[in-house]
Amino acid sequence: MTCQDLVRHLSDYIDGTLAPEDRAAAEAHLADCDKCHLVLDTTQCTILLYRAAESPSLDATRREALLRRLEKACRGVDDPV
Amino acid sequence: MSVSPPAPGPSRLDELSCLESMRRGDPSCLGGFFEAWGDRLYRLSLRLTGDPAAAEDVVQEAFLKLMAGAERIEGRSRLATWLYRVAYNASIDRLRDRKRTAPVPEEGDDGAPPMPALLVDFLSPEEMLADAETRGALDEAIAALPPSLRAAFLLRDVEGLSTAEAAEALSVTETSLKVRLHRARLLLRERLSAFVAGRGKPRGGRA
Repeated sequence: MTCQDLVRHLSDYIDGTLAPEDRAAAEAHLADCDKCHLVLDTTQCTILLYRAAESPSLDATRREALLRRLEKACRGVDDPV
Repeated sequence: MSVSPPAPGPSRLDELSCLESMRRGDPSCLGGFFEAWGDRLYRLSLRLTGDPAAAEDVVQEAFLKLMAGAERIEGRSRLATWLYRVAYNASIDRLRDRKRTAPVPEEGDDGAPPMPALLVDFLSPEEMLADAETRGALDEAIAALPPSLRAAFLLRDVEGLSTAEAAEALSVTETSLKVRLHRARLLLRERLSAFVAGRGKPRGGRA
């Protein structure tokens, strides 16, 4: 497996969806290639960073107001005001 | 390092019977439903539109459509893909409205994935996230992706949908979803590498 092949298969490798023989070839390449190992590590770290980063949520006041609007709309489904 | 995705969404609530009662005009479990889904849809839409008001609007639209809809939604997975699909489409509509003069760039699914060019070590995610500049770099890197790649990455890697679910939510084939996800991951990695490399350079007057 070349570096280019490894990069092409990188997401499947990370997701565990590579065929067993391709996975073995990827692992053999990764054991010898520091550059590809770094690409794998930093790609996995990238995923973990976004997963762990705090995401913005609706602020409490707007959230409450939106919920009230939705409740009103919900009641209106069968019983229009 | 394990990167298996988180389970898709809280499941304490019986969401499907809750949906039925909302459609009958009973809002008693709307609060719980909103708790489970409101922020998830808001996050996706905010990442896509970059506009808190638009994202709030998208959440409202998705809920109104869900409550007014008549079609049966079978299973939690279907519910998730249905909600994300409505939120994605509504977000893209708003992006298009805003950028009438400059159409939203779409990423083709063909072509070779970008080859990694920058090779620098990252610190651990915990160490990196402790730093406000890194959090800013994360926001900038994802905002620079075409929306179709951004959505593939967010649904699969952040929201934890399966490939099949994310593909259904974005109305693309699983193959196309995987191509988009792969490109998104490599592009984000490259941009974050550029940020890390830039920080590593000696800077005058740095505290």
